[in-house]
Parts: sequence; C-alpha cells; structure tokens
Amino acid sequence: MDSDRLSTMLSALADPTRRGILAQLAQGDAMVGELAAPYDMSLAAVSKHLKVLQSAGLISRGREAQWRPCHLEAEPLADVWSWLSDYRRFWDRSLDRLGAYLETLRRPTPKRPAADLPSKPTQPREKP
Amino acid sequence: MTTTTTLDADSTEEAVIVLTRTYDAPRLLVWEALTNPRHVGNWYGGEGFTSPVCEMDVRPDGLWHHVMRGPNGMEFTVDSVFLEVVKPDRLVWTAANRGERPQGGPPTAVTTVTLTDLGDKTLWTMEARFDSLADRDLSVRMGFGHMVSQGAERLAALLQSL
Repeated sequence: MDSDRLSTMLSALADPTRRGILAQLAQGDAMVGELAAPYDMSLAAVSKHLKVLQSAGLISRGREAQWRPCHLEAEPLADVWSWLSDYRRFWDRSLDRLGAYLETLRRPTPKRPAADLPSKPTQPREKP
Repeated sequence: MTTTTTLDADSTEEAVIVLTRTYDAPRLLVWEALTNPRHVGNWYGGEGFTSPVCEMDVRPDGLWHHVMRGPNGMEFTVDSVFLEVVKPDRLVWTAANRGERPQGGPPTAVTTVTLTDLGDKTLWTMEARFDSLADRDLSVRMGFGHMVSQGAERLAALLQSL
C-alpha cells in the first residue's frame, strides 16, 4: 500500500463520526438515513462523511440511485490497522532494546562492555 | 499532494501515534544513543535484529541510511532524511523517498522524538505524523493519538466483528 493511499485512509478514519459510521456498518449494510439516525446532523452532512469514506475506499455504495446501501470494505481497514500495529510493534521493540542498551552504556560490565558490542558501521560524517 | 521536506510546526495537529518511555539515563546519553550510528545499530529494530549498515548524517536534510537484518536473515533498507536536529531536545525525520514502505521495515511517517530532561532520567516521546504525506486539508486534526491509545479496542473489536 503506498503512503498517499494510506494517508487518505488514515485521514478518513480520523473523524469520530466516520469511525462511528464504520462501526455501524460492521453490523451490516445500511442506508444513509439509518446511518444518520444516531447523529444530530443533516442527511447532507452524513452524505459528506460517506463520500470521504467512499473515496478512501473504506466503504462502497450500491449503484441504484434510489437504493444505495453502504457497505463496509473490510480489507483496506485491516490494512490500516496492520500498518498502525506494525509501526507500534517495530518501535516498541526498538525502544525496549534501547532501554537495555542504555543500561550497558551507563553501567558497563566486564562481560558486555559497550565498546565491544557488535556492529560498528561506517560513519560518513562524525557527529558535530 | 504536499511534497515539501520542511516540517510545518503547526502544534494544533494531533499526532498519529505516540510512544513514550522513561529511560534511566541522562538526556545527553539518550541523545547520543539516538544520533550516533555506532549506537543506533545496537538497538534499532529491537531484539533479534542487527544493523549491518547504519549511516547517519545528523543535520537538517542529512540522510540516514540503514540496513537491518531480521531474525530470519532477511535484510531490508530504510532510508530516511532528517528534517530537524535540535540537540539534545528534538530529532525529526521522515522517509527519504516518501514512497512505498520498505518490506518488513517501519512504515513511513514523519517521526519526531522529543527528549525531556528529568534530572537523571529522560522522558522519550515519539510521535508519528502524516501531515507532510497527505493532503493538508485531509490530514489536519487527525485524531489518531486518541484513536490508537483509547480507541484501539474499539477498532480491534470492529475488525474482529467483520
């Protein structure tokens, strides 16, 4: 998934009303009126939210003008979720290890002196 | 689409993901561990990961070229560019190409690390934002810090119910 598409989806999901709409749609397809019911807003306002969700690929709508139930597109949502989880997992893991590594820098033991730790990659430029 | 590499410091924008840690180390040491490639290679990626290559040119517009090797031996490259370098307070970087996320590597975002001096401890605050990757109008006011920290269960439940 490319960054722009992901960003569009994240932005679409940023609004609590839109997340609420998605949660409703998780129970099954619904018409605009049904989706609007829990909110104190006009059908037009809800339609606007639906348009954002639709262009982000998070929902699809029926073709017939009169009956256009909204349908949740699960796959992109799962993509977003997995992206967020991956990000968190990667950095949680890294930051935990940083904590352990800082310990070795602060209190070097004869067994694991910081200077002997592996990986001494090239440095194109010394830190100022 | 915004493609500028400068970070618009609009503090009204909410972070997407926030990760915090309190380290039992003085701030300068944490800064050193974050910005000296000799150190970064020792923790980046976490347990089980090694860093065959870590090159950092720590200044605005400087590049961070990183090759990680995962537990299964697979290597992937993460190329980033520093946007802001304020020693020892703040380091900001984003993906160098702003393109596809590297396979297995961290997803791309604008990442800001802020180090707060707590005496002999240091508070690490890391925020991932998307404001320079997406259309400004769409990306402002993203509620994701909230969503991830408090709404995660809800979204997870939602996904499970599909």
